[in-house]
Amino acid sequence: MSNLKSIFVLFCLVAGLVSPALAQSDTESLRSLVDALAKGKYAETEQQIGALVATGDPAVAPALQALGAGDLYFRKSDGQVFIAEKDGKRFTLTDPLTLEVEGDAGKREIKKIKVNNKLRRVIRSALGSLTLMAADPNVRVAAAEAIFKAQDPAGIDALETALAAETDDNVRLVMEQARAAAVLNSDLEEAQKLAAVETLSEMGNREALSLLIGVRSNSEGAVRDAANHAVEKIEKSIAAWNTAQNVWYGVSLGSVLLLAAIGLAITFGVMGVINMAHGEMVMIGAYTTFVVQEIIRTSAPGLFDYSLFIALPLAFLTAGLIGIAIERGVIRWLYGRPLETLLATWGISLILQQAVRSVFGPTNREVGNPDWMSGAFELGQMTITFNRMWIVVFALLVFAGLMLVLKKTPFGLYTRAVTQNRRMAASMGIRTPWIDALTFGLGSGIAGIAGVALSQIDNVSPNLGQGYIIDSFMVVVFGGVGNLWGTLVGAMTLGVVNKFLEPYAGAVLGKIFVLVFIILFIQKRPRGLFALKGRAVEA
Amino acid sequence: MKNTLTKLALAGLMASTMIGSAVAQEDTIKVGVLHSLSGTMAISETTLKDVMLMLIEEQNKNGGLLGKQLEAVVVDPASDWPLFAEKARELIEVNEVDAVFGAWTSVSRKSVLPVFEELNSLLFYPVQYEGEESQRNVFYTGAAPNQQAIPAVDYLMNEEGVERWVLAGTDYVYPRTTNKILEAYLKSKGVAEEDIMINYTPFGHSDWQTIVSDIKTFGSAGKKTAVVSTINGDANVPFYKELANAGIKAEDIPVVAFSVGEEELAGLDTGPLVGHLAAWNYFQSADTDANAEFIDAWHAFIGDEERVTNDPMEAHFIGFNMWVEAVEKAGTTDPDAVIDSIVGVSVPNLTGGYSAMMPNHHITKPVLIGEIQDDGQFETVWETSGLVIGDAWSDYLEGSKDLISDWRAPMSCGNFNTVTGKCGGSGS
Amino acid sequence: MMTSFLFRAMDARAGVFLAIMAAVVILVPVGNLLVPHGSPFHVPTYAVTLMGKYLTYALLALAVDLVWGYCGILSLGHAAFFALGGYAMGMYLMRQIGTRGVYGDPTLPDFMVFLNWQELPWYWYGFDMFWFAALMVLLVPGLIAFVFGWFAFRSRVTGVYLSIITQALTYALLLAFFRNDMGFGGNNGLTDFKDILGFDIQADTTRAGLFAASGLALVLSYMICRSITRSKLGKVLVAVRDAESRIRFLGYRVEHYKLFVWTLSAMMAGVAGALYVPQVGIINPGEFAPANSIEVVIWVAVGGRGTLVGAVLGAVLVNFAKTWFTAALPEIWLFALGGLFVFVTLFLPKGILGTLNDGWSTLRQRRNSSDQEDGTGGPRPQAKQSEDAPASTPPPVPAMSRAGASHPQPAE
Repeated sequence: MSNLKSIFVLFCLVAGLVSPALAQSDTESLRSLVDALAKGKYAETEQQIGALVATGDPAVAPALQALGAGDLYFRKSDGQVFIAEKDGKRFTLTDPLTLEVEGDAGKREIKKIKVNNKLRRVIRSALGSLTLMAADPNVRVAAAEAIFKAQDPAGIDALETALAAETDDNVRLVMEQARAAAVLNSDLEEAQKLAAVETLSEMGNREALSLLIGVRSNSEGAVRDAANHAVEKIEKSIAAWNTAQNVWYGVSLGSVLLLAAIGLAITFGVMGVINMAHGEMVMIGAYTTFVVQEIIRTSAPGLFDYSLFIALPLAFLTAGLIGIAIERGVIRWLYGRPLETLLATWGISLILQQAVRSVFGPTNREVGNPDWMSGAFELGQMTITFNRMWIVVFALLVFAGLMLVLKKTPFGLYTRAVTQNRRMAASMGIRTPWIDALTFGLGSGIAGIAGVALSQIDNVSPNLGQGYIIDSFMVVVFGGVGNLWGTLVGAMTLGVVNKFLEPYAGAVLGKIFVLVFIILFIQKRPRGLFALKGRAVEA
Repeated sequence: MKNTLTKLALAGLMASTMIGSAVAQEDTIKVGVLHSLSGTMAISETTLKDVMLMLIEEQNKNGGLLGKQLEAVVVDPASDWPLFAEKARELIEVNEVDAVFGAWTSVSRKSVLPVFEELNSLLFYPVQYEGEESQRNVFYTGAAPNQQAIPAVDYLMNEEGVERWVLAGTDYVYPRTTNKILEAYLKSKGVAEEDIMINYTPFGHSDWQTIVSDIKTFGSAGKKTAVVSTINGDANVPFYKELANAGIKAEDIPVVAFSVGEEELAGLDTGPLVGHLAAWNYFQSADTDANAEFIDAWHAFIGDEERVTNDPMEAHFIGFNMWVEAVEKAGTTDPDAVIDSIVGVSVPNLTGGYSAMMPNHHITKPVLIGEIQDDGQFETVWETSGLVIGDAWSDYLEGSKDLISDWRAPMSCGNFNTVTGKCGGSGS
Repeated sequence: MMTSFLFRAMDARAGVFLAIMAAVVILVPVGNLLVPHGSPFHVPTYAVTLMGKYLTYALLALAVDLVWGYCGILSLGHAAFFALGGYAMGMYLMRQIGTRGVYGDPTLPDFMVFLNWQELPWYWYGFDMFWFAALMVLLVPGLIAFVFGWFAFRSRVTGVYLSIITQALTYALLLAFFRNDMGFGGNNGLTDFKDILGFDIQADTTRAGLFAASGLALVLSYMICRSITRSKLGKVLVAVRDAESRIRFLGYRVEHYKLFVWTLSAMMAGVAGALYVPQVGIINPGEFAPANSIEVVIWVAVGGRGTLVGAVLGAVLVNFAKTWFTAALPEIWLFALGGLFVFVTLFLPKGILGTLNDGWSTLRQRRNSSDQEDGTGGPRPQAKQSEDAPASTPPPVPAMSRAGASHPQPAE
């Protein structure tokens, strides 16, 4: 929606260039064209769009934009077309040409003008040629990219005009590429096409490759040879980038594993509790995020981008407190009998799952990505999605934070003392029961904030925890029980190995190989990657 | 040691009282509801249990059936497939239900089939499935592949001009069969082998980075590409999230899904997914009075205006009404009588037409193609001009192209071979 | 030799168990087949199948108790052996369908026909013969367990590391069997069985027969386990459980002992699976799910670890509870089941049977000591204790720990 508004502003500026008198007389003829959009089926709508674009008048752009976004409606009573925006139960109606508010209407009084993918493509390329001269460079880039995708030869003239006026180098580059794409689809002479192939070859990404492969199969002679050459060149460079991409995917998967496992590395690794309810702590963190977002949605929509930051401490507290309650209520009776903690925590995990199912229902809950977590950027020929990147960063931060807490704070010192020699620690005046409870709470709390991150990429459902529990145990054991560095290295190794196997073996076989790899690895190092040394080992 | 003995005896006693206590009461007609309320499938199936309770409640308000009240018997097979068989047996033998509405996954249906056959009861199965089955005691109210997959592919081919196909699915029998059918169909339409990419992932797959990037690569070969997704339930949310973040727009590479309905979208921000497609026989957005009434009743029953309706819910709506009508027609709930009377029964569906039970125990349905909207609903962009008859045996598979099914009197066969003229498959 | 070996298994405890089992094995089929419908003693077929299923679960629990209770190997992957045995039996049953499948193909199972398989994969050969399938029921789980154990025990993988790699094993098998390319029917598994050894699988008599067979298998396995645990071998196993290093230093080849019981236990699990499949009518990869293996461990813990009878009791009780809860409290049964597990761990730390044993021996000790005070003598408590040792003392639990003093260790 915000996108739409910025474009309104933009068009007001553009429209300001046209003289008011002229605009006035045009508005009437344009209105009949716009109103015609409401009539007929997709094929007719496509023709109407063509007619609108043929006017070449930038004033029609908001209508097209709204049509593409599914915001263009017509009033059932008189067939007049409006941009409708939902406002509570009713819709606010805006005139698509004057952009003035024209009152409101109920849901049943207006009807949406349907568009499908094909129409959206048509609109996208139409808007491309209409907005090439816009004031905002981002809009110009979007316009050029639209023409690039459409490969519409009709856009060449517009592009050339725009190029002549363009001052921003980045925008120029995109426009030139768009022009090259359009040229290759036109019947211009060979020299022009060769130059276009050269431009695309320099562009060097998948989109260029896609176009060039098309050119290679549709042309002949020198153009075909040049395209072929360019395709080979791009393919070679993409192949090299693929390795980097796989490493990234591996690191990204590894960071998810790390997040899932790191809480377990404390409750299981450090405290020795076979914590089957760990996955449910992750789930509780994810549901906390959901609740926070729900509250924000209803009472303070402006805070949505900060929802994750609000959810983090809350998730930590919620999961941590539940963890402490579990420790005080159940686990403290079971120290020294680790296998029985398995039984009890399994019971607890069933109860927590069912509790969440009863409270929030069995279906998936929507946790949105804030803007800064959405989308992707290109690094060379690699695509890096923001949510994955932030999760990697976040996982490393959590790890570092946890290390700091354990190594540099009094609480960490007590924790280590208690887990290494309980009686001695107690003799030194450490209140071991409290340390047990707090350590378990810490582990659970960390699982909770892992849940906040995982809610960004996975289902938020009562089954969320079940999906991660086995992998978490694998990671902790592979890395070596009781060693946080082991968990880090273990998670990253398993992630990268998995991602390198996946393209060759497929997702299922890849995972099987990883499991077999773990089994074999444990034969070689029966106490994991970073084995604990010393007396604690035989205990 | 005596204690052990007592314990065991006690266990035996408890078992016998449990079995004894469930003696049927004579004044109600019992309807079994066999949907997982816990475990992995609870996410989809719990809603169907609620719909059944709602339909039964409404029927009771309207005077019940044959002058008796209906009584729902709900059990939880806990997404555990052998438990489905056990619970089905319990419903039929112990609770003496007259019909069972339930099952979601193919494997749960396969698991209960022998039970329904042996005990001669009725199962209404509400989910789109892979076909290749027609059983006397089962009524398939979901879509067969020809009521979903093939029209969807036709749409993409004709309306969107797709030439390259990614068939992505979860590795189980429904995607496998559907993709086999689609592959054969696409090849029959002249699509080359190298223009079809088939990919399978495990259940609950959550890391889609590699596959989404493969799709992107496959799609950058200069031809219009589309993804046909038979990815199952839980794995869809991370898949669509990855898709949205990787910037794959519906205008560039549309994804048409057969297992993604309103319920699955409820867990997603659909803003970036606008334009991706799904093929079903019902959308909540269907603009009919029957549908508006159904949605209102559903919201009132569940007490939540936000809850959506979806295709399997409509399938239960149709199936339940068909059963009610067939029982009234037969004047009894006896399974044999109902099996005879239900064929040809036609009841209104929610998209403004009538669905009829065919002799092969599949029903007629319209096929709708919808595009995802930013409010989590689908907008119908195309629909079949008439109703499509569910085809139990696909014409595009080697083993089944000669088979037909007709459970009416002289033939009474689920796998009649038209070439050999015999019942019992393609063999002797 | 063999008879004396088995005979040694007999004592009062075993006697009671065997008497109960004999009664169940005889009375349930009789109640189902001979007692007319409507009679209060009639056992419905539904109950026969259900109890038959419990018996196979009990056998599986027995197998887990043998390795966990007596040898300290906590297997979180025993369901894998159960499922492998089940698949071997399932493949036999599939081949028995013959032309009665929906496509009527004489050799290929239905799922292969519609996925366009042209011929039967090599590993399906031989499964049309019962003896071969029966052999495979023992050999496949046995062999996999042997190879797995051979490596794991020689590398001295112990404790939680071993538990987790057994989990990895069953998880890997789960994923593998899910793959349709494997030729085991993928997620749908094997189903729609028609007959076994020529008997209609849906007939009441067959069901009763399968029930009796499960009962007999359980009795036989119990006697084998009992003889092992009461033999010198059994003492060594318990010693391995309690102090592995010490036993090794004493010159015992620990890995041989472990490997033996591990493989035996896997084969027992395989038999359990093979008997399970014809009774429930389906085998699919879901049986490999790690959660299932954990559940088996829970049955044993609930019943009483290291008591054999306890494992049987636990399996029957928990599964009965599950059956009952899922029907009586479909919406909230997980609360009940989860609560049961927590309750048992907190208040019955040795399981039901272990707690009963404790109570029993305390009672006896008290009586004995009072007897001694009276000067009437009687067997000395110590002697009694050591005789019961393998059965009644699960892992060394410091007496303090139950009172709340904590001794965290980096896991077992």
